[in-house]
Amino acid sequence: MSELLEVDGVEVSYGRGRAERRILHGVSLSLAAGESVGLIGETGSGKTTLARTILGLTRLTAGSVRFDGETVSGLGARALRSFRRSGRLQYVFQDPLQSLDPDVTVRDSIGEGLRIRGGLTAPDVATRAEAALASVGLPADLLGRVPGQLSGGQRQRVAIARALALQPRLLLLDEPVSALDAANRIQVLDLLRTLGTDQGIAKLFISHDLGSVAGVTDRIAVLFRGDIVEVGSTRDIIARPQHPYTRLLVGSATTLTGGGVDRERRRELRQALADHG
Amino acid sequence: MIDVLRAALRLPSAKIAVGILIVIAFLAIFGPLVAPFDPYAQNSKDLLQGPTLEHWLGTDDLGRDVFSRLLAGSTVSVLAAMQSVVVGLVLGALPGLLSVYLGRTFEWITLRIMDSFITLPFLVFAIAMTALLGNGLTQAMVAVGILIAPAFYRVTRAAALTVSHSQYVEAAQLFGATTAWVVRKHVWKKVFPAIAVTTASMTGASLVIVSSLTFLGIGIVPPEPTWGGLLATDLGNLYQRPFGPVVPALVIIGTVWALNALADALKDATTDAGAPPVSKQKRRELQAVPHGA
Amino acid sequence: MVRDDILSVTGLRVVTRDGDPLVHDVSLAVERGGALGIVGESGSGKSLTCRSILGILPPGLRVDAGTVTFDGIDLTGLDYRSWQGLRGNRISAVFQDPASYLNPSITVGKQLSEVLRVKTGLSRRAAHARSLELFEQMGLREPAHVYRQYPFELSGGMLQRVLIAIALSADPELLIADEATTALDVTVQAEVLDLLEDLRRDRGLTLILVSHDLAVVSQICDHVVVMRDGVVVESGTADDVLKRPQHEYTRSLIEHHTAYGIEKFLAEEVLDV
Repeated sequence: MSELLEVDGVEVSYGRGRAERRILHGVSLSLAAGESVGLIGETGSGKTTLARTILGLTRLTAGSVRFDGETVSGLGARALRSFRRSGRLQYVFQDPLQSLDPDVTVRDSIGEGLRIRGGLTAPDVATRAEAALASVGLPADLLGRVPGQLSGGQRQRVAIARALALQPRLLLLDEPVSALDAANRIQVLDLLRTLGTDQGIAKLFISHDLGSVAGVTDRIAVLFRGDIVEVGSTRDIIARPQHPYTRLLVGSATTLTGGGVDRERRRELRQALADHG
Repeated sequence: MIDVLRAALRLPSAKIAVGILIVIAFLAIFGPLVAPFDPYAQNSKDLLQGPTLEHWLGTDDLGRDVFSRLLAGSTVSVLAAMQSVVVGLVLGALPGLLSVYLGRTFEWITLRIMDSFITLPFLVFAIAMTALLGNGLTQAMVAVGILIAPAFYRVTRAAALTVSHSQYVEAAQLFGATTAWVVRKHVWKKVFPAIAVTTASMTGASLVIVSSLTFLGIGIVPPEPTWGGLLATDLGNLYQRPFGPVVPALVIIGTVWALNALADALKDATTDAGAPPVSKQKRRELQAVPHGA
Repeated sequence: MVRDDILSVTGLRVVTRDGDPLVHDVSLAVERGGALGIVGESGSGKSLTCRSILGILPPGLRVDAGTVTFDGIDLTGLDYRSWQGLRGNRISAVFQDPASYLNPSITVGKQLSEVLRVKTGLSRRAAHARSLELFEQMGLREPAHVYRQYPFELSGGMLQRVLIAIALSADPELLIADEATTALDVTVQAEVLDLLEDLRRDRGLTLILVSHDLAVVSQICDHVVVMRDGVVVESGTADDVLKRPQHEYTRSLIEHHTAYGIEKFLAEEVLDV
């Protein structure tokens, strides 16, 4: 099998008995090595829960997550730590201002994963950190700075460099550009589009907005109320959406040209979705 | 950590406070050495004198030089206060930090213990401890340390809780970091300023308690000089030496003020004072949204 | 044809207490019944410009030069009492985080009727009826049910509709929406934008829409002002700005969409939705 990530029938619920709430109702999704996939869903659709489940931060009640042929769901603390230390799966948070320790320099932030993994000398860690920083297009003189001394775009690129330093096979990116302003967004998206294509790094983009990841993904999966309702090539999802929710999503995307979907059509799409479920 | 101290020292009040504390520290270390007289030497010829060139602060009812006793008393008073703060740190800050990481049982037990400490009445507890363990400064100070432990516990725990829920800690955990790593690399730096603030203000508080206890004669064997003890003697001879209590009282007040000022400066330096008050702006925006009353 | 501008701002300058300018020589105008979009990043001065129009600048900031004229009234020299007669009555606003403008312990319906009674002098019964009517017009299904709900029981999109209902309670001529859809999901954002467009068509409401997203603004605005670092870098009709951007910054905003948005596919495909 060439699949890198296989999410199979994952169910997650919170609470017990009558208070039980199911967040994910048997979600299945797979990602091949080097692929770039978007996971789109609105607030409360379960996309963050799915990401946390893949990362082993949330326990699943049924199903499994396999990474590179290994089952990584339900691991014990020690086994999970050792899987994480391999660095093969990396996560990039939405807001670098929160995901980077404000008191830690760029050099130490990027090197943190390597030092936790161990087995490298301090100069080796420094060299790798510098190389990672260069790979996201930032100059080495930022190494001594703390996050507060960087621009928003630089910060997010440092966060990406931190993930790349471990030479991952899959990057999980949670709304990686939504905390950035337009100019920085382009920088980061430019980077993410070309990033890792030669090393075969797969990317899973999580977003609420189809428009913000359309340009950087090969495929898109649409998550709606805890179910994946549609998966297809990015082009098909945008031009020929099938599920009523996907149709509304495409029809609601704000575009510079209006996208040919008017208010009247949107009203019908909303009605269609309401009738559907 | 150092930049917090540096930022704190930019305030003039902090500079004065540190100046006072340096003087007090000097007195505590070298006071007995520079004292002009033996603080224990009685002199039946010069009882209850006012300030003279020989005795700057006069003499007490046994003819002992008050200035020398004040200098000698600094060592005992300051050491006692520091003793209790160390006890408070060990019994409070440490479990406060561990309560976030050692699981629910430990958390529950320490929370209940700290709650019960809070309910203990200060002086009564200290008196009971000395009655139980014998009258001595160490016993009294352990009692005070136990009483101030909850303050350290709560402050440390709150700071550690905030950090442990932060995304950068989660990021470290996703790299496979152990709890020890997280505490060492991320939590400690954020918890330290909170502990520093509490240490400064609690040193002040325990100095007051030391003085109150020694004033009452608890924890101290009579000939030994302390600030509180001096105050008590001077108050007893108020009729003969009306100015007597002023100097020991000023020394206590000055030290406590300096410690509190330092605590305030540290607090200001750690919280971002530059951010605009949000509520004020919100109130203004509310004017643009129609509202009832 | 002479434009009938309901609001015009000329040479507006906002400075800090130390005299540092945050908004520089900003001029803009909105036609009666028109929709103007102000686009810019955080720190571009777009929100300060709006707050100057509303007379609610943050503490420490003040208008140092320029005029703000609303329907012939100079707003910069207005006293508190005159502001009270204007704000909420003829000019109203909605902001990004609707929940923080509502009292969490009072039902949203009660809060709207309270406003209606104060602003329009309606009786208790009439205010109740008018509230239900407004909720319905804001596209809230089951207005009677919504009326009895507390803010925490409503979603972000519903809360923003409640806020818009409250903002419109006194039937204002101008509504300023400052990042009012930013925190909402895309589908809900589209609903709120559609609602604003409906209100403009049906009631002749003049709109100023402030956003960091050029696409949001171009959705309903006929004129666009692009701001950066406290200065207007580009302004004109939406069509002109989008098709013939003059400033490099505007071009980068557009490029973001054409390179990474669904526009990339629109050039080759007709959406079948």
